[in-house]
Amino acid sequence: MVEGKITNQLRTLRFLAGEMTQAELGERIGVTRQTIAAIEQGKYSPSLEAAFRIARVLGKSLEEVFQWTE
Amino acid sequence: MAWREKQAWLALSVMVVAYGVYFALVAGERRSMLAMLLLFGGVAIAQAVVMIVGSIVLAARAGKEAQARADERDRAIDRRSARIAYFVLLIGMIMVGVVMPFSEQGWRISNAALLALVVAEVVRYGVVVVSYRRGWNG
Repeated sequence: MVEGKITNQLRTLRFLAGEMTQAELGERIGVTRQTIAAIEQGKYSPSLEAAFRIARVLGKSLEEVFQWTE
Repeated sequence: MAWREKQAWLALSVMVVAYGVYFALVAGERRSMLAMLLLFGGVAIAQAVVMIVGSIVLAARAGKEAQARADERDRAIDRRSARIAYFVLLIGMIMVGVVMPFSEQGWRISNAALLALVVAEVVRYGVVVVSYRRGWNG
């Protein structure tokens, strides 16, 4: 099995997107503020669908938001 | 702390205290089946009352968050906890239904069945709490 973990630039990209709050982002993609916080902290890996939604809301590609770190 | 995590803490605490008291009393002295049934009824009613009041207080304090539907992380944590608790319950029920009838009396079997249910629920809420605290990646 390939070892690694998903990292993300969510916090930075939220800041660059007009200092969007976790609650606002969560509301736009249909998850709670706590789930956005958990994703940012690497405590939860979102579903592919949620990941695409996050990228779409932030106006970025999936790879710009989420990375695979070995 | 997430609203659903607070609810899990409440359910876990109430479960441990309520049935901790019940099993301590049952183990402490010999009782008739009727006395145990009445004791169990009292504990179950007390548990329900505390859960209802506690849930109302938590919901009032959480405000809008309490009305939000479970999202994908909540559902993933719920599935994980239920799956783990299912195996705990399965093992408990095998012990109660298959092993104990050969060696134990009825009151012990009844209480062992109740204990299996309580342990499975404690495991379920425990997994929910740990998953919210430590994270869920799976």
